[in-house]
Amino acid sequence: MAEDYSRYIDLDEGWVDRSIFHDEDIYQAELRQIFARSWNFVAHESQLPRVGDFLTTYMGEDSVIVTRHRDNTIRVFANSCPHRGNRVCFADVGNTRRFTCNYHGWSFNTAGALLGMHAEYAYDEKDLDRDQTRLQPVAKVDSYKGLVFATFDPDTPSLQDWLGDYRWYLDMLLDNEEGGTEFVGGCIRSEINANWKFGVENFIGDAYHVGWTHDSGTRAVTGGQPFPPADMTNSYHASVNGHGWEFGLDGFGDIMVLGSQSILDYYTGMKPRMSERLGQLRSQIFGSIASGSIFPNISFLPAVHTFRTWLPKGPHKFELRTWVIVNKAMPDEIKEECAKRVMLTFSPGGLFEMDDGENWSNCTTTNKGVVTRRQPLHYRAGLTRQIHDHPELPGTIYRGQYNDANQRLFFQRWADLMNAESVTELPDRRGATPAAARI
Amino acid sequence: MTAMTDHPVTDRPSLELLKEVEQTLYREARLLDTEQFETWVEMLAEDIHYYMPSVENRYRSDPTDTSKDPSRMAFYNDDIAMIRTRVARLRTGTAWSEDPPTRYTHLITNIEVELTDRPDEYRVYSNFYSYRNRNERDEDVLVGRREDLWRRDPEGRLVLAKRVITPTWSVLPGKNLNVFL
Repeated sequence: MAEDYSRYIDLDEGWVDRSIFHDEDIYQAELRQIFARSWNFVAHESQLPRVGDFLTTYMGEDSVIVTRHRDNTIRVFANSCPHRGNRVCFADVGNTRRFTCNYHGWSFNTAGALLGMHAEYAYDEKDLDRDQTRLQPVAKVDSYKGLVFATFDPDTPSLQDWLGDYRWYLDMLLDNEEGGTEFVGGCIRSEINANWKFGVENFIGDAYHVGWTHDSGTRAVTGGQPFPPADMTNSYHASVNGHGWEFGLDGFGDIMVLGSQSILDYYTGMKPRMSERLGQLRSQIFGSIASGSIFPNISFLPAVHTFRTWLPKGPHKFELRTWVIVNKAMPDEIKEECAKRVMLTFSPGGLFEMDDGENWSNCTTTNKGVVTRRQPLHYRAGLTRQIHDHPELPGTIYRGQYNDANQRLFFQRWADLMNAESVTELPDRRGATPAAARI
Repeated sequence: MTAMTDHPVTDRPSLELLKEVEQTLYREARLLDTEQFETWVEMLAEDIHYYMPSVENRYRSDPTDTSKDPSRMAFYNDDIAMIRTRVARLRTGTAWSEDPPTRYTHLITNIEVELTDRPDEYRVYSNFYSYRNRNERDEDVLVGRREDLWRRDPEGRLVLAKRVITPTWSVLPGKNLNVFL
């Protein structure tokens, strides 16, 4: 009988079983049930501007190549030769017309189709089906306002449905100005001995840790001032399909974190345009102290301009990949300033990020203790603070930024995927769609 | 722009200068290892660029050189104010991931000194092996190369005007980068 993963999550009472951060069998099930069936983030379109551009990444632990093929579409396929399984691409990024395996010289084009191999006379005509022998493609590739996603499962709902009304929130990150966004060049990667979900659940809703974990970073950038208390009336958790965004309404808190007058001036100047584009409410949300995660493993701080994925590397390790996301319309000097300030605050050496890794690491490793592991984790903040009457905010809404609501709803979605035999049978977790938020 | 490494060697540095630079690098390492950050900052020029680019694996056939483009992502891309902000964080008393303190040892090797067109500036190459260990057995080894510009200030001291750190890793092998290299 299939395991019921709902037993690890007590949504009503707010408890989460520590096994989901430790157990090898659960981790293997996550790779099959979640990563092999979800829409995984694979690239920003700006990383692949020209035909032949490629990058390599992972969907779960499956190594994949992402290319711009000569028909200008983005293709995603396994980075593993069908002959003996070797990797066919060892570069992180580049531009090419073919990927050639180092082992026997099997060569594939930027759509993954077989082009040829070393000493082709080794094969008689019947030995080799040239159409079927290829780098395994993913089932579907789609993009939303610059972010490219892929899924291995042909039954996974469309990306539009998967994101649902979360797009109302995502547009604040991806479409707050004419022209959309791009990634600054380069990627910072680090390896942390922690379960991947600790990164996701932190960004999906844990505004609460900032004032304590990041006291040192806050005081460093403010000249000694602590983090301001949360306004528990005018701040929210919003969850749609397991994706979450926590935010205030002050419009500038996160922009201040970067500590740059020129970036502050830029946003002060463009906020009226953002308000016209996205409405008054969203121009107040953007820039506030906020964070978000797209299920299963993509996170960002909208006005801090950091965007990242938590790539699973076993139950007790992930690789963190971070990028800087900026508006295309920004002048070059503002883009450069954003990159510098993100590096100062939210990179492995950043004033804020520096203190996160050790917490997540120890949240993971303490669970080696069999008795320790029996104690469930406390996710009870804001159990009764759900509201149903907000006129504009789509999704499941809780009041108060210091809240575990988005985290609980992330774990609910986690259990949905872990339990579902088919992704077509996922429960409805969209929440409300107020008329004002219809896309 | 001519890359620093292609710069012609105009003359040989004196043994005295070699020894002075070497001792300066060792002193710098000792100040960092013993957390005397404010004293270390006094060894930096006010116009310092402290830079450690991100690393990409690219094929040899790819001519892109991203290692000296400061508009790209970097582990460090700091001016003196940013470095002072980092030191300020360490002195707040609430930098939890430094309490108990991390133990560091910087080993500095392969030191070369070159004279430049300016009589008061020296190009200095060195390698570092930085071991860090904290709590029970949390440990990392960070290894890489450095290319510095040291300047003699009006008082006759050597100050660091520029440092480019080239890490040997592409994925940082650790939970954070809490160390100056």
